Order: sequence, then C-alpha cells, then structure tokens
Amino acid sequence: MNKIKYFLVLSLCLAVAASFTGCKKTPKDDLVVGPGGVAGGVGSDPYSIGLGEERGLMSPYAESPFTPVYFGYDSSHVRPQDQSAIEEVADYLRSHPNQGVIVEGHCDERGSREYNMALGERRALAVRAYLIGLGLEPSRIQTKSMGEESPVALGHDENSWRQNRRAEFILFE
Amino acid sequence: MKTGIATLILGLVAIAVFPAAAQVRVVGHSDGKAGIDWSGFSAGSDRAGRTFFETLRSDLVKSGWFKSAARGQGIYRITGRVQGQGGKVVVDCRIYPRGEDKARFSKRYSDEEANARRLAHRVADDIVYALKNYQGIASTRIALVGTASGKKELYLCDYDGGGLRQLTRDGSVSVSPAWGPKGETLYYTSYLQNFPDILEIDLVSGKRRVISRKPGLNTGAAVSPDGRSLALILSKDGNPELYTMSLRSGRLTRLTRSGRGTEASPCWSPDGDSIVYVSDTSGRPQLYTISRSGGRPRRLQLRGSENVAPDWGPNGWIAYSSRFAGRYQVFIVDPKTLDIRQISSGPADYEDPSWAPDGRHLVCSRTQRYISRLCVLDIMGDPEVSFDLGRGDWYSPVWSPAP
Repeated sequence: MNKIKYFLVLSLCLAVAASFTGCKKTPKDDLVVGPGGVAGGVGSDPYSIGLGEERGLMSPYAESPFTPVYFGYDSSHVRPQDQSAIEEVADYLRSHPNQGVIVEGHCDERGSREYNMALGERRALAVRAYLIGLGLEPSRIQTKSMGEESPVALGHDENSWRQNRRAEFILFE
Repeated sequence: MKTGIATLILGLVAIAVFPAAAQVRVVGHSDGKAGIDWSGFSAGSDRAGRTFFETLRSDLVKSGWFKSAARGQGIYRITGRVQGQGGKVVVDCRIYPRGEDKARFSKRYSDEEANARRLAHRVADDIVYALKNYQGIASTRIALVGTASGKKELYLCDYDGGGLRQLTRDGSVSVSPAWGPKGETLYYTSYLQNFPDILEIDLVSGKRRVISRKPGLNTGAAVSPDGRSLALILSKDGNPELYTMSLRSGRLTRLTRSGRGTEASPCWSPDGDSIVYVSDTSGRPQLYTISRSGGRPRRLQLRGSENVAPDWGPNGWIAYSSRFAGRYQVFIVDPKTLDIRQISSGPADYEDPSWAPDGRHLVCSRTQRYISRLCVLDIMGDPEVSFDLGRGDWYSPVWSPAP
C-alpha cells in the first residue's frame, strides 16, 4: 500500500514539474503548449498568448470547407459581420477534438511586401485570438502568413483587393 | 548655396569617418565625368578579346565616374591591348593622366577565355579604385525574386542585369533575400515546408539549412556586419516582433515589445551597433532605430504618410521607400542629422531600395502598371536605368557586398 501511495505521489510531483517546464510533447501530439509573451493563460489578453517554441508536425487538409474572414484596408480588426464565420470554425473544432486549424492571413498587393508579411500574420493572430476567446485551446490554433504573395483575385482594383484581404482556415490533424 | 556647402562638409565628414575606400559625397548633382581616350588600346578581333574590351568600357561608364572621350581628348588615356592566346585572354593595361608620362595605373592580367567578362569586371574595379579611390561595383551581384517560372523563386544576376540565373526551384514561395557579409551566403523566407521559415543558402556548396522555423512567422532575415547575428521578425510570442539570433548558437534576444504594433524589415547599421526597422505603433508604418541590445526605439522623423523598406548603406545613410502623392519613391536620410534627399522621381512606384557597396548606386524595384522591374538609381544624379530580365515580375532586389 505504501509503495502505491509513494508511486502516486511521485507521479503527481513529476506531472506538476513537467507542467512547469513546458516540456516537449511526444511526437504523436501536434504542438507544444507554451504560453509565451506577457503573463500567459487564457484569462489574459489573447493577443499575448504565444504560439509555442516548436512547430510540431501537422498534416494539413488540402481543401478548406470554411468561409474566409475579410478585413478592411491596413486593418487586422475582426469585424462584427465576420464573427459567425469564426464561430462556425469553433463549433467544428469542438466536435472534432483530434483536429486543429491553421489560420492563414493574407493581404492585398498594396504596401511593402515585408510589412504585408507581418500584417497577414496579425490578421491570422486576430482570428486566433477570437477563437481562443471562444474557449478553444491555443495549442489547436496555428498561424501562417502569406503576406501579399498568394492572392485569389488578380485584378488591380478594390474589387480584387477586398477579396485578397482575408484569413482562411485550414484544418489539420 | 548653403545646402551645397552643408552637403560638402557633411560629405567630407563622411569621408573622414569611413577611411577605407573613400565614401561618396552625397551631393545633388553628378560631378563631371572623367573622359577616357581609348585610342591607344587595341582589342584585336578574337571573340574573348572583344568581349573583354566591350565589357570593360561598359563597366567604366556604368561606375558613374567615367565617359568615353575622342582621340586626343579626355582626362585619361588608356594604352595596351587584350588578346586571346592559347585559350587564355591576356591583358596589358596602362592609364596615363593627359599630359603625363608616368602611368597612374599599370597592370597585366590573364585568365581563361571563358572568363573574359568576369576578368573585365575585375579590371574595371581595379581602375575605379586606382583612379578615383572608390569601391567599384562591376564584380558585384544582385539577388532578387522573379515570377518567370510561374512561382516566386530566387535569382541572381550581375550588377548590370547580365548573367541571370535561377537559384531556387522550390515550386513554392521564396521571398525576402538577404546577403551574408562575405557574399557567400543568402538568407531568405521560404515556404518549402508549408510555413514561412528562414533558410540559408551556401552559394559555394549549394547546401541549404533551416535557420528559423518557429511557430508563426519567420521573416525579415538581416545579417549583422560581423556575420555573427541575424535580425529577424518572429510572431511566436503572440505578435510580429523584432529579435536577434546568434547564428552560432541559435539563442534569441527579443528587442521589441510593441503589443498590438507590427514590426518588419530590420537592417543593421554599418558598424553593427544599431538596427533600423519598420513599425506601425504610431498608426502607420514608420522607421525606427534601436540599439542591438534593445532599449528604447527612436523614431526617425520623415515626410510621407508611410515609410518602409529601409537599407542602411556603407556611407551611413538609410535608403527607404516613402509614400506620398499616391506613389512610393526612394529617399535617403542621414539618421544623425535627418537630412533627407529624394532619389527617384519617375511616374512609378519605387520600392525596396538596396545600396551598392560603392555607396553611390541603389537598386530597387520599379512598378508601373503593376509590372515590376529592377531599376538602378544614382544618388549623384545620373538617370535611372531599368533592367529587362524577361517576362514576369522582378522585385525585392538586394545588392551583394564587395567581393
């Protein structure tokens, strides 16, 4: 009996210690849980929740069944009319716990390419923050910016630019 | 007149601060070009010899310092010959200031016939240095992104747009090239593994290695002048921020904490002590400088609603692209005095300027009607020159260091 108790206490201690060191998950798991930035944890500002220190193995699906989220010019603000699209993704993820999502952020062709890489990432992070705010685990949501390098519409007018300022959802497991 | 004198003093100070090869004085107009009388130089009729001769003449004109003069005219006369001899091209070259019989430059060269063009570039750089005491650019190269294959890949070309060759064949997206300080390595942002990672290409061996593949964004690679550190943009901590990384150990140092602001496009100062970068913490993208060890960033007060794509040149001036009157134009600023000069002025968007090691020329992308070409600008006022590299868009050029 003592031996079992001892073993249970030891396991508990190891588990607690492991959770403090943020150790690498086994290869079977997708991503490292590692809240970085300012005072981590879901309760605080979701923007400060880091993406972890290691990009794990992901098998992304080729097609995305979800409607993209669109953005205003030079903005990474999630608009009220796009919230239901994000909620749809959240619903799906809640019922498919073995899957995660990559939020892929894009820009229109205007502005500097390097700045647009960062802006695309901020759009992806904004959508990620919204999903985390809906209660999803940060480790299930990754970001990927394509900057202005992967437009869907090739015209040089607001009609095309509006379609390119977007975040897409790509599932993975 | 006042600005002219101020510029002259500024320029002389600049020359005093950078004693190695004399740095270019930043003036608003071109000095008179020195005429070279070629009538005493014989090129022969073999192909290698003619290639050498034509390349040398072209290189000296493109340096910006010289023009060709008629027989009996010009400040310099060049004598000697180039000829093919048993598979080699042999050059004998002497340059005399007009009216003197002591050569200012006298040298012999020999190389394989196949290297005639490259030999001419070397001779041109030697002549520029001997006659003007300035770093030559004829042996330098430009790395860039091109879409000719249907995908975005990296290319290399010579400083004059010749010798174009494709460097990557990843079939994904390869962007944002940056040179290592010895001109033997290139760093770039690659989607080869489906996410934006920073890779390094060893141009000598052709080998590639992953430099940074953190979750989220890895981009904006810029190598410090001592070759030991990389400045880069990572979003792994929840927001795109500026970091430096030891290339030896991989250790990261975070430099900015801008909350909802976005950082991009870092570039090192020539002395390696500071980094200039873009941030939109003020609302629109503007340029900031920060010490390499972090601390409080200092915003550069510039004109224009948006200032992006900085490149800190060997002469201490920062070239950048500024948006005003609906277009992007290339400007240069002295970060110590905030003296600003406009360099480009055509009816197009001029973006992503990169300094040549002569501190006089800049390469940038010039976009008109949504087609992008490489364009070389001259801070001393020579007209811009565009390269025709063939179909597709050509952009994000970066000028190699001097060999």
